[in-house]
Amino acid sequence: MSKAFSIFGSSSRPQLGPFEQKLLQEIWSLGSATVRELVADGKIHQAYTTVLTTVHRLYKKGLLDRAAEGRAFRYTPRHTAEELQRVTALESIRQLLGSGDASAMPLSYLVEALSAHDAQLLDELQRLVERKRRELRDQEKTREQH
Amino acid sequence: MFALRGIAVSLTCFVLLYCLLSALVAIVWRPLRFLHVAQQSVADLLFELRILPLLASVIITFALVVPSFRLLEPRSHREGMGAMPLALGVCALLLIACGCCRVIAAQTRSTRMVKRWLEGARALKTNAGAAIIFQSQGEAPPLTLVGVRKPRVLVSESTVALLSNQELQIALKHELQHMKSRDNLKKLIFRFCPFPGMARLESAWLQAAELAADDAAVSNLCDAVDLAAALVKLSRLVPVEVAPVCAAGFVAGSLSKRVAQLLAWDEASKERRVRVRTWFVVPLVVATSLLTTIAYGPVLAVTHEVTEWFVR
Repeated sequence: MSKAFSIFGSSSRPQLGPFEQKLLQEIWSLGSATVRELVADGKIHQAYTTVLTTVHRLYKKGLLDRAAEGRAFRYTPRHTAEELQRVTALESIRQLLGSGDASAMPLSYLVEALSAHDAQLLDELQRLVERKRRELRDQEKTREQH
Repeated sequence: MFALRGIAVSLTCFVLLYCLLSALVAIVWRPLRFLHVAQQSVADLLFELRILPLLASVIITFALVVPSFRLLEPRSHREGMGAMPLALGVCALLLIACGCCRVIAAQTRSTRMVKRWLEGARALKTNAGAAIIFQSQGEAPPLTLVGVRKPRVLVSESTVALLSNQELQIALKHELQHMKSRDNLKKLIFRFCPFPGMARLESAWLQAAELAADDAAVSNLCDAVDLAAALVKLSRLVPVEVAPVCAAGFVAGSLSKRVAQLLAWDEASKERRVRVRTWFVVPLVVATSLLTTIAYGPVLAVTHEVTEWFVR
């Protein structure tokens, strides 16, 4: 996990392309696989060499572990899907906070988003209070009429 | 050496009792939140439970540990002192020093902030009270009760402008209820007895204290709606700085819960709610004191046996 953090922590964080994501999903579903097994599975419609290169790239990015199996390698995911999601989310927030000339600006966006949520709650409570007030006024009017 | 040993043993007993009782309280307080009694009683019970470890350990130390050591410990100069009572004695002193520092820091910060908030403030004439309510200028919080010895209610200019007269009166009544309950003093007492895991109990007490002040301030449904409206309006004002410990802000606790309770206000249900009176504890205290007085000798002997174990 530490390696994944160090990858995501660097400023030049490698992004996962669509094919890399697809391969990773496939290896997660299989548990572990060799390149030949991935191609033979039938869900990946790419040449053997393309799959080999992409899997090797995932290994280099620290997302896969590998163990020699005959003349090939067996690849296993280093993290679960949930772990990767968590790290990606953390990295997104870190990037957001670290971006821009004014470092406080992204934080102000977060505060704004939270304030918007609070404002919604306050609007809802305000509506409830107003409704109760109207009910009270109506009751008083009815009482006066009687 | 005898006196030093006595102090070390007493402090050891104090710190052990305090930690044991605090840990127990931190575990067992939760069911109290669901009691179907008046909110003031819930707040009182939570407060009493929070200070029980400190109170009980002080009473037991002074009523049993110190006399048992003085009366039953032989005044021998040869008997040494173990490492455990020494270490625990130091822990107790650190705990007391930490509590004192927290109280002094909180009080100093509060005094400094209140002094600043009161600059240029003028006394506000209201129906709720006189000479204790001030309209402040500048960066003061919207509406808050500040101070322990000489509590005052501070109202900001924006609050006066934002609230209708009825809303302001009922909001002030809420703050005056905090003053009546001495909630700022209670907060300061919490600072004196720190223990990990007590934050949730303190937060539950704060919530109960807010609901209790709401409950006490309101006497009919119109008041309840006015208080709810004031609460929602003042929640939109963002405080400029964090309020000090010795302050009871109007906007505190769970806003949704408070508004829900106010809008569902019902005179009949308020009257039906049971108040747990403190005098229920009096017979229990009298019985315990009586039993201790009758069996004081044997109790002291047992206490001495236990303290001897620490010294060894």
